[in-house]
Amino acid sequence: MEISWLQAILLGLFASLSSMPGMGGSSIGNYTLGRPLIGGLVCGLVLGDMTTGILVGCAMQTVYIALVTPGGTVSADVRAVSYIGIPLAMVALKSYGLDATTEQGAALATSFGAMVGTLGTVLFYGTATINLVWQHMGWKVVEKRDYHKLYLVNMGLPWISHLICSFIPTVIMCKLGENVVNVIKTTLPMDGLAMKTLFTVGSLLPCVGIAILLKQIVKSVADFVPFFFGFVLAASIGINLVSATVVAGLFAVINYRIKMVAAKRVEAGGSDYEEEEEEI
Amino acid sequence: MEKKLSKKALSKSFHNWYYGHLTCFSQEHMQTFGYLCAMLPLVEELYNDEDEKAKAMNTYTAFFNTEPQLGTVVVGITAGLEEARANGEEVDEETINGLRAGLMGPVAGIGDSLVVGTVIPILLGIAMGMSTGGSPLGAIFYIIVWNLFAYFGMKFMYFKGYQLGGKAVDFLIGAQGEALRESVTMLGGIVIGAVSATWVSVKTSLQLVNDAGEPYLVLQDKLNEVFPGLLTAIFIIVCWFLMAKKRISPIKVMLLLVVVAFVGALVGFFDPGLAY
Repeated sequence: MEISWLQAILLGLFASLSSMPGMGGSSIGNYTLGRPLIGGLVCGLVLGDMTTGILVGCAMQTVYIALVTPGGTVSADVRAVSYIGIPLAMVALKSYGLDATTEQGAALATSFGAMVGTLGTVLFYGTATINLVWQHMGWKVVEKRDYHKLYLVNMGLPWISHLICSFIPTVIMCKLGENVVNVIKTTLPMDGLAMKTLFTVGSLLPCVGIAILLKQIVKSVADFVPFFFGFVLAASIGINLVSATVVAGLFAVINYRIKMVAAKRVEAGGSDYEEEEEEI
Repeated sequence: MEKKLSKKALSKSFHNWYYGHLTCFSQEHMQTFGYLCAMLPLVEELYNDEDEKAKAMNTYTAFFNTEPQLGTVVVGITAGLEEARANGEEVDEETINGLRAGLMGPVAGIGDSLVVGTVIPILLGIAMGMSTGGSPLGAIFYIIVWNLFAYFGMKFMYFKGYQLGGKAVDFLIGAQGEALRESVTMLGGIVIGAVSATWVSVKTSLQLVNDAGEPYLVLQDKLNEVFPGLLTAIFIIVCWFLMAKKRISPIKVMLLLVVVAFVGALVGFFDPGLAY
């Protein structure tokens, strides 16, 4: 499977739109096009194999399900995961003759995505650094009171940052992809220790993604209970994700009602207290 | 005559923020330029005098960074404050920037855990469920639902902020807001549990073989008898422990997993079962 120039250019364009800080704006860019699941759909459509694209995207999505960037520090770059990692993983799967529906296929995709994603943080810092130049021009514009140029500074010039840090790296990596995959294939045999490690890493990495998310929502040990409840729903009872969400919704509604009753009681209790004070 | 911002100017301001809050991001000024672009249409409508315009715009050159989706409420609030200032009310640069600086932190905290840490993972979880087997349905579902939620949610936050001012934030941190957040977080926890059990699969290939070459103890089966997916759950908890309790960065935890995978593959605990 070879990626043509036109396909590489299209992927480069999506990389420019989808990164954080991207030209698509964060709702449409980073949080839509940048998600590996959506990246999988886009890459699949561009490369002409939608099913494989989505399967690869799904596998990588688990690792990056909660890509929170508090204070603008990133541990992985979505443009690299979605528009370099996914195409390369698709090429690798084809080259190895693996089916994306199998566990091995998903593991290969995941380790490729994580590798590229981690290296891709360089692109994030690169973009943010080049943007400093435009911002410097922006302060000049503010000084001169030529405020309309702010639009150019904020929404136009960063395209140059993305040409350098998103578009070109994506095009080059996608074009080189097949060769790189072939080198890996010839130097590292499938049943060797290195490949076994790579595939095992692929199956372990999603744990980090889930753990990052748990870090956000678990404040005390009791907060683990909903997580394990959901785990049991799927692992032991075998309920699918859409149904699990419905069950989860019911518990959320119950919790909300209880909390609101408690809150009202506090309010009522508070006003009683005030009345007593007045009587005294 | 009292100045009143037109619907058109407010809408332009909102869209400038909706699209441009992060387009020119840098580590130094973060969302400051997005904020300036969001305020520009309002300042231009409120003031005719160039000095007044400059005075107003200079207010927003102060550093700004928060969770951008929920942070829209702050932009809305400052739109209201700027209008009040143009009408000669007692609002000065310090009031506005004090409020902005004071809201940045709490709004980022709530927004990161609610939007990025809960709403997006829930939607992605459902979408991944719908895309099992390579169907585009889940991806399309996510594109539509998330973008409608983000666009109209942000628009709602902007105009609530403009109309209610500081009161708009009371809802977020008040009793009802807290109950709502806690319930959504619970929903998120359950969905993420289901996502882990469905999409994460850590398995051991360790087995003990008798003299005849037949396995008499397959560890994975034994573990599944105790609790299906036990090994997956253990790995997730360990990763959580390392990051949340030991404050180890995600990248270091990933590297640690590479070591674990290498050792595991070496001793035969992990075997992805590869063959040509």
